[in-house]
Amino acid sequence: MTVRPILKSAALAGVLLTSTAVFASAKDVTISVWSGGSGPNDNYRVDAIEIAADILEREAAIRGEQLNIIVQKTPYSGWEDFKQALTLAAEAKKAPNIVATGHEDIGPWAQAGLIVPAEDYIDLDAWPISDIYPNLMEISSFNGTVYGIPQDAESRPLFFWKPYMKAIGYTDADIEALPTKVEKGEYTLKNVLEDAKKMQDKGLVQAGYGFYPRTNNGPDYWQFYTSFGGVMEEEGKLVFDKAAMKRTYQYFADLVAAGVTKKNHIGMPGDQWWKEVATGKAGIWHGGTWHYARLVNQEGLKDFFDNVQFTLIPAGEGGKANTLTHPLTYLLMAGHDQETTQIAANLVTIASEPRINALHAIKSAHLGISASETKVDLYASNRWASEATERLLPHANAMPNNADFGKYWTIMWKNMEATWTGAKPVDAAVNDAEAELKSTLGGAIVIR
Amino acid sequence: MIAPAAIMIFLFYLMPAILTGIFAMTNMSTATGISGGVFQVTQGAVNRLGPDMPELASGIAEPRFVIDEEGLAALEALKLKPGYAAELRGQHIGEVFASRREAERVIKALRDRPSTREVKQISDLFNRSVLNTRFETREALIGNLEKLGFKLKPEEQDKVARETYTGWVWTTDNFKVIGNSPDMAKIFLNTAFYVAVTLMLFNVSYALFLAVTTHYMPPATASIFRAVWLLPRITPVVIYVLMWKWLTWDNGFISMFMGQLGVPPKNYLLDNAYNAWFFVILINGFIGASMGMLVFSSAIKAIPQTHFHASEVDGASRWQQIRYIILPQLRWPILFVTCYQTLSLLASFNEILLSTRGGPGRATEVWSLAAYHTALNNYTGNLEYGLGAALALMLVIIGVILSLIYLRVFRYDTLISKPLIED
Repeated sequence: MTVRPILKSAALAGVLLTSTAVFASAKDVTISVWSGGSGPNDNYRVDAIEIAADILEREAAIRGEQLNIIVQKTPYSGWEDFKQALTLAAEAKKAPNIVATGHEDIGPWAQAGLIVPAEDYIDLDAWPISDIYPNLMEISSFNGTVYGIPQDAESRPLFFWKPYMKAIGYTDADIEALPTKVEKGEYTLKNVLEDAKKMQDKGLVQAGYGFYPRTNNGPDYWQFYTSFGGVMEEEGKLVFDKAAMKRTYQYFADLVAAGVTKKNHIGMPGDQWWKEVATGKAGIWHGGTWHYARLVNQEGLKDFFDNVQFTLIPAGEGGKANTLTHPLTYLLMAGHDQETTQIAANLVTIASEPRINALHAIKSAHLGISASETKVDLYASNRWASEATERLLPHANAMPNNADFGKYWTIMWKNMEATWTGAKPVDAAVNDAEAELKSTLGGAIVIR
Repeated sequence: MIAPAAIMIFLFYLMPAILTGIFAMTNMSTATGISGGVFQVTQGAVNRLGPDMPELASGIAEPRFVIDEEGLAALEALKLKPGYAAELRGQHIGEVFASRREAERVIKALRDRPSTREVKQISDLFNRSVLNTRFETREALIGNLEKLGFKLKPEEQDKVARETYTGWVWTTDNFKVIGNSPDMAKIFLNTAFYVAVTLMLFNVSYALFLAVTTHYMPPATASIFRAVWLLPRITPVVIYVLMWKWLTWDNGFISMFMGQLGVPPKNYLLDNAYNAWFFVILINGFIGASMGMLVFSSAIKAIPQTHFHASEVDGASRWQQIRYIILPQLRWPILFVTCYQTLSLLASFNEILLSTRGGPGRATEVWSLAAYHTALNNYTGNLEYGLGAALALMLVIIGVILSLIYLRVFRYDTLISKPLIED
């Protein structure tokens, strides 16, 4: 008699347990996201994924599924450490699920199978991805396959310290008209050198501070090659334009010879550079749109627009005014099960929605990835974002996604550094570069 | 006792050198991966195949997706929703698309709304080209080419496989690249200069000077001096180099001091190649000298005091004591320090990396730093393991050769021959 109630309750308990087990098929997923080159203004590169996770969890809950996403964020402030850590982690099968990195990594990483095509998991024809600028999607592709989803865009202007421009004879109207003159090719790199020299001769800036470039290797220097008529890639083949590269090397050698740029500029401490640029120690310099955020937020340059004018990188002999966009893209790393990668892909999709992406664009002074993003109030009401988008982005080139581009870049840069510091004459550097490109890349590069 | 020692030697000493040797004979990089590759007909591969096999190259250069019965049968076999195949057969049979994207737009628009992953699965079935498809094996690639109507002879198959393989291959090209690069010759000379000057001026001479001078000091004072001279060695290298940077930066101590004399500030460390070498050698020298000092001091301590007493009775000067008592008995420690420090200088680059990063303009780039930069540092995320390993391997070979030369020059055999006194 007493057995039956016990059996009954046991059965009931069993049913209850199984039912809760079904309901509580709560899925815990850990999604790790790494990002490179992420300083204090770039936190939304990884935070956007967290915001997306919150939304995805809510969407799942509405569908009656319980999904717990734990987002592990690892932002790296620099690039070299980040790329070293990531490539080695991926080789060791310890890659994160999502990584925000420069688009130029797509070539080698896709070839090696370290990343999976984003288009295998994300519907490119659906909003918000369908809304992203087509050229950015193009930059995120390799061998006809879309591997990444653009995370941001930017471009790299030339900056002028207005008070010094006035001191060497420019009126307010002249300075206002400068961006147009640069765009039309009326103000060239030759004028940059002359104006920098004038600033120094007048004692406005110290020797070597007239033209104050980036202090280390970066995509920026390809802009000057473009200014002098160089092309990086044509129809899937890299291009080394000897004459254009020679003019590029020569330009920096000339800057040093004229004393407006320091011979030992490369390798100087970055913090010092920022401080000097923000306090008007330099006359003309180049950088990226995101410099606005650092100059204003970290370096204390409050009256940016009163002090600084910005333009495209002016044309040199044989080329045209240009700028370079170096978008970061969200990539999905290989080595995870399909379901987790699908969740990671969904997070990337949500993080690409205009309002979420605008948080990053405005906080870090990068540019938006879609037309609709420019209509988000935060973006539309931001003077820097709207002016920079309009003035620069239509003229932006990008580096090619080519698995061999890294080798080309390494050779281009080391010879540039050698001419800059006077270790090699320009002719020798161009010939050395040519010889080494031939022996390392062979048929993969066109030399002309 | 041989077994544990042999295992240790093999795992931790021989293996790294052997692996370096193996890597050096490959073109391994991030792009090729370490564990092997796949076969993929990319635009680059088509370009490479063009000159020798123009027909094949032009035939496979375009993507092509065809909704045909073969694909539909495969789709039905997948047992996804039956509506997919039915609708494709009913409305799209025979359609040809010039890109995957266009084919997928049609698949996406099916009434049963396949998921993104299903769309990929389905579009793969209708892929009637090989462009940009990753094939896990050579057979799969050749098989697919055959399906497309390309019957290749075995040597043609070899060529296609070679040009489309994305993984690493065995090659001696690394050594050709090193041999042909004008920069490597410069880096070789840099390395020779750096090792020779640091070794002679600091690791041996300066260390010897410190050891001899402390020998003639009262013991307590000598201990204090030795302890202070050890500081560069025991300070963490990052902090030690940072202090040098503070000293030499544009805003550093030297600039501030010279500013008082009216000299405009400049970066003394990177001002020119001479400055950079001067500081690089000082930074390394002060660290390296401490080891020589310890070895030489203890060796001098081991010389019987009676030798010194006797020489003083004979009226020998300090210099004569050094010349005729100390130096002759330090031959073995000097050989050891020279040999050991040559090898460690050849392989060391951390101080240079932290201070000049090989600059200005690669003036202070030494062999080991170049190996590091090549194998583990690339702005575009393509680390060249193979070439870097080849550089490292050459360093190992140079080290071995130098050691052999030292043993010969210092007449190692006489040093270890039986002492005459016991005969």
